[in-house]
Amino acid sequence: MTDSRMDTAEGDFGGVTSTAERPILEVKNLVMNYELKGGGMVSAVEGVSFNVPKGKSLGLVGESGCGKTSVALTLMQLAADNARVLGGEVVLDGDDLLKLDREQMRRRRWTDVSMVFQGAMNSWNPVYTVGEQIRETMDIHWSPKPTTAQARAKIVELFNLVGINPEMIDRYPHEFSGGMKQRAVIAMALACDPKLIIADEPTTALDVIVQEQILQELKKIQHGLGMSIIYISHDIAVIAEITDLLGVMYAGKIVEIGSTAEVFARPRHPYTWLILSSTPSITGPRRALAPLVGEPPNLLDPPTGCRFHPRCPFATQICVQEEPTLMEISDGHSIACWNHEQVPLTLKVDA
Amino acid sequence: MLKFIAKRLIQMAFLFFLFLSLVFFLLQAQPGDITAQFLDPSLPAEVRQQIAARLGLDGGIWNQWWNYISNFFTGNLGVSFSQYPKDVISVVAERIPRTLFLFAFATFFSYALGFALGKRLAWRRGGFSEAGITVVGVVLYTVFYAWFAILMILFFASKLGWFPINGFLTPEFWRNAPFTGNQVFTQLLFSIGIGTTIAVTGLVVARRVSERSTARIVRRTGYGLGLVSVVVFWFMRSDMWPFARDIIHHTILPVLTLTLIAFAGTMLLTRSSMLETLKEDYILTARAKGVPDKDIRDRHAARNALLPVVTSFILGLAFLIGGGVVTETVFGWPGMGQLLLSSTLIEDVPLATGALGFIGLLALFAHLFVDILYSVLDPRVRIHSRT
Amino acid sequence: MVIKDKDPAEVLEPTLEEVAGVVVGVGEDLPESLWRVRWRLGWAGFKKNWRLFSENKIGMFGLALIIFFALMAIAHPLLRGVGPWQADNIYDPVIGFDAVAIDYEVVATEADVADPVTQIDVRTAQLWCFGVIPGDVCTINQTPAPPNADHWLGTDPLGRDVASQLTYSTRAAFFLGSIAALVTVGVATTVGAIAAFYGGWLDNFLMRLADLVLLLPLIPILIVVSGMFEVTMPLLGVLIGILSGFGGTAIVLKSQALSVKVKPFIDAARVSGGSNMHLIFKHVIPNVLPLSFLYMMFTVTEAISLEATLSFFGLIEAPMTWGIMLSTAQTQGYLRSGLEFWWLLIPAGVAVSLLAAGFFFVGRAMDEVINPRLRSR
Repeated sequence: MTDSRMDTAEGDFGGVTSTAERPILEVKNLVMNYELKGGGMVSAVEGVSFNVPKGKSLGLVGESGCGKTSVALTLMQLAADNARVLGGEVVLDGDDLLKLDREQMRRRRWTDVSMVFQGAMNSWNPVYTVGEQIRETMDIHWSPKPTTAQARAKIVELFNLVGINPEMIDRYPHEFSGGMKQRAVIAMALACDPKLIIADEPTTALDVIVQEQILQELKKIQHGLGMSIIYISHDIAVIAEITDLLGVMYAGKIVEIGSTAEVFARPRHPYTWLILSSTPSITGPRRALAPLVGEPPNLLDPPTGCRFHPRCPFATQICVQEEPTLMEISDGHSIACWNHEQVPLTLKVDA
Repeated sequence: MLKFIAKRLIQMAFLFFLFLSLVFFLLQAQPGDITAQFLDPSLPAEVRQQIAARLGLDGGIWNQWWNYISNFFTGNLGVSFSQYPKDVISVVAERIPRTLFLFAFATFFSYALGFALGKRLAWRRGGFSEAGITVVGVVLYTVFYAWFAILMILFFASKLGWFPINGFLTPEFWRNAPFTGNQVFTQLLFSIGIGTTIAVTGLVVARRVSERSTARIVRRTGYGLGLVSVVVFWFMRSDMWPFARDIIHHTILPVLTLTLIAFAGTMLLTRSSMLETLKEDYILTARAKGVPDKDIRDRHAARNALLPVVTSFILGLAFLIGGGVVTETVFGWPGMGQLLLSSTLIEDVPLATGALGFIGLLALFAHLFVDILYSVLDPRVRIHSRT
Repeated sequence: MVIKDKDPAEVLEPTLEEVAGVVVGVGEDLPESLWRVRWRLGWAGFKKNWRLFSENKIGMFGLALIIFFALMAIAHPLLRGVGPWQADNIYDPVIGFDAVAIDYEVVATEADVADPVTQIDVRTAQLWCFGVIPGDVCTINQTPAPPNADHWLGTDPLGRDVASQLTYSTRAAFFLGSIAALVTVGVATTVGAIAAFYGGWLDNFLMRLADLVLLLPLIPILIVVSGMFEVTMPLLGVLIGILSGFGGTAIVLKSQALSVKVKPFIDAARVSGGSNMHLIFKHVIPNVLPLSFLYMMFTVTEAISLEATLSFFGLIEAPMTWGIMLSTAQTQGYLRSGLEFWWLLIPAGVAVSLLAAGFFFVGRAMDEVINPRLRSR
């Protein structure tokens, strides 16, 4: 990992709360629980709100189980059968996706919002060629349906964009390497020119070198095409390299959100602060590592008040009693914490 | 692909060789002397020796073994004791088309039905129909087959009178027929073979076409043309048609019975296989892509769930062949299975072992067919021509 | 044939040794003997599995069926020694020829028969009573007789009690099933373990053999065999056991043995000086055994169905089985008239189907217990 926190995306930073034009995606107070056999409800997503400005990328970071993937799946109505959306809005380019019925949602998938899944290797059906599977999206969503020539031309264009030899179009997935499969998935995600792409752990299963390549490609594509992207990852260093905005999730809630540079340089939420402080820096000054003790809470029965309070070194009485809401503390930077002023302004440094 | 087939054929030959050896040694292990059965013991010893030599029953055991195997491979299966002087191979050859007819249809229908039901069961979990169909299927699977066949005959043939009680044709009807039963059978098999080939060609061509809707048109044309070709064929042979119809009429109940018994195995396996497949990531990806539910079930899930089912065909084969033997016997269907039983009961050794050998051969060929089918369906197994 | 739809060799449950953390070397002494440890763990495992099993309705139903038939089997010798059943040997399933004799008054023609229960026309009467004329009494033995006071399920064409035959055949079925099951388990476990353990050409050869056996249709082979030899029940059990043991079961057990073979405690045992034989029989086989019990169930199902089919064709040498009951009825033509002689048709067929089904259901339920992936929860 490099200490590249200062190398963030170029261009303007879209603020979280106010932009010149309307954000492509506005999530407001999304609440989603998983219903268990026997009646218990797992509070997976609790009042999550964020915006994705057009042409910008937002990163959602958090531990496993913090709800980031659940948010993504809920957006596309792809969550498991026992998922229950209990409230909130998901407004994509003016339309609330949660209000759509199954068939309407199905028609919007891929053309409005597409997804790159975790573990791209398994996103491919082994019995059809990659070309056929990409073509499938066009056959479903393009209107009028593409001719063979048109479809092929588009796929060639996409392959060139992601850096795969167009000869591979008629090959089967098992003939692709891991990195190639990942790129192909990205190509497929672009096939219908979606307004928004969600990339869930796009590089987790790859080795470091390929990881770097893919990340740079993604960054290039995003800027080249002006795409809006949501990145989901547990690896904050990866996210920080390529996103414009950064949102930190914990136990189903967004605890901090702002421009990547800002959040990275000046984390104001104890959780973010602890995470960043627990990463040794190769190039920066030597630091004492601040350990993050304990484990994420059981979402069947989450802690009262602030969900992070059992593990927070800055917790006080109010944290146990009242849940903090997202408050904007500086331009475009919001956090959900009662004691954010206690959080040191710099990461712990060894004197 | 050809290399693959060639390799498998060689393996098959070897397995068959083992099988025949097994049969041979089984024969030899019999208590008693074969010669004593069919040779009058009151004949003087030298005469018996001579006759034994003529029948190839002399020489050491390894000699006989080698003779037996090489003879089989060259088509010489010996002469039937009970139908002397007819040789075994002509008796068996006469029976093969009838068995093939029955077996092919029963296999096809049981797998088609089982697969279609299993696919739907997995897709729509829970509910009364799932439990209902599963129970019916399992009951049919475990019921005592010969007994069930008798019940079917009693109900459909005796009571309702819809179908004939036994046999594969109505003797009175055929008394002065210009054709033999076998001729009609061969024509039936031939016409169906042509129809199927046309349909399969349609499928193969459709695979190459990348345009989905055109592919569908090609497939449907293939099915249509196949069907039409069969109809046209029989239209042109309308002199033979009434006899063919009689045979078909006799075929329905045995095929139905065997299908009912066998479909549950495929159905349950398809269901489990589908359930496993539906958990795969590419199914979620397909949903995310906005693929309609029916296409997810059929194009994505079922196509992959099919693979273990095809493999299971190899296991189910033994079951179907055994079932075929019982079917032929209970329904009085003079095919190879029935031949096997009747020749065993009258202790016509060459005929019985010849029939057994052929049944083994049928099993091996079916196995080969399945292997080829599997490699066609699963690109990961396919021999690449371009690497 | 059996529906074996998932490879249960990929069982993720820990073996007994792993749970106990026990490593046994040759010549080592334990505070408790290995078998006692295994017994205790086995019992605990059994209780846990029983809980899971008992939730499976189909499995419990199958178990109920098996118990029902077991009771029937036990009932036979008990009843034979008790009270009226003892009398006159008329309840012997094989030689208890007891024909109910009914007197008929002979009348001139069919039209004159006012009451068919007590009267019969002269032409029909002459089939049984030679030389009768109208006015005589013709005594005809009712075989097969419908259910009546003496014979609750009636008699078969030879005058033997059907209920007695039914219960006697239950014993035969269990007997056959046990032999077939034990032989299968023995053969398959040994073959699988040896193939897994020694590997190489032995493994290859055994697996090729298993493939061949798998391919062979059992019924035709057994038909021919029974034509050449006199096949009794024990022999049939052994044959079925060998043929099915060598087939798919061996392959599955080999995979299971392979997964056991690579577990650390095997290496530890070997390091402490265990020979291959010792390892196979003391360690690998006991850990593979639970899986074989599963297949035992399916083998019993197969054995019962196979035997019924073969004896239906008259190929088995046995005093009385369900198949023979049906065969007798069939060959004497009593099944052709539909349900008229239902007591010859229904009980035996239902018995075969139900008992085979019972073992099958139990096998499926056990499959779900042992193979976590099949569970609905």
